[in-house]
Amino acid sequence: MTAERSLEIIRESIERSQRTITKNSSVPMIWWGICVVIFALFIAYLWKNNGGPIWNWLWAVMWLVGYAGNWFIDKKKETIPTTFVGKAIGYVWSTFGVFCGGFGILLGLIGGKILPFDLIMPGMYVFGCITSIISLCFGMGTTITGLIIQNRIIQVCGIIAGLGGFFYALHFPDYRQLFVMACVAIIGLIIPGLIIHVQNKK
Amino acid sequence: MFQPLDPLLHSELRLAIISLLISAEEAEFPYIKEQTGATAGNLSVQVDKLSAVGYIEVEKTFKGKRPCTICRITPAGIKAFKAYVEALKTYLNVK
Repeated sequence: MTAERSLEIIRESIERSQRTITKNSSVPMIWWGICVVIFALFIAYLWKNNGGPIWNWLWAVMWLVGYAGNWFIDKKKETIPTTFVGKAIGYVWSTFGVFCGGFGILLGLIGGKILPFDLIMPGMYVFGCITSIISLCFGMGTTITGLIIQNRIIQVCGIIAGLGGFFYALHFPDYRQLFVMACVAIIGLIIPGLIIHVQNKK
Repeated sequence: MFQPLDPLLHSELRLAIISLLISAEEAEFPYIKEQTGATAGNLSVQVDKLSAVGYIEVEKTFKGKRPCTICRITPAGIKAFKAYVEALKTYLNVK
């Protein structure tokens, strides 16, 4: 075996490992994106026609549906090795889940008058738009994922979704901010997921 | 001056196994088999050889009711791989 051949084997093996992780990230991205879009539109409809922002509690149902679907996808997809890259991506999205979930729970407790409003936003000096904050976190999660797996499409989609969603959602203090959320999910999850999926099929 | 290449790593399949494991903390036997395109029998023999010299460790466990073999690179394996790459550079005129 020549030195060039040895080098080729090493390069191929490392690249193949990276491709497997990228390939396996596309289906969960599309799945979570579809979940967010469907629930955002459904909650927006209920918010507008049947009783206001209380319907936001349905996001908790989305997490359950999302995780159930993700479990099924994990079972069906090919076995992937435990890598630092895979773990780092997991940590990024776990952090996203903790922050956004925590924020949602706190606002839910305030909305349900279990916690006093002043505890979180003293004197109402702060205007909190959860969709803006979640969009920003979303965009950051997507961009970091793109940087880790070195995929420019995901990086760009993450930046557009994060910054676009953050500023655009501030314009809509009502149910329409959920349309922004749906757009963020399409740009930040579904489009990059589909592009990766198509690229890997070639 | 050419440095000697570790004969244990200087084989297509064993080098592919170590290269796969260097980028992964651990990998299951079917994954390595699929990525290297080797037969189960040949792969098993080469895994045993790498395990015998302490370059990788092999854990036999269960995934549900199915047996599952997990391979991990050891610090000795990482050291040997680094030394192999360094030696390889002398053949390729890489500084």
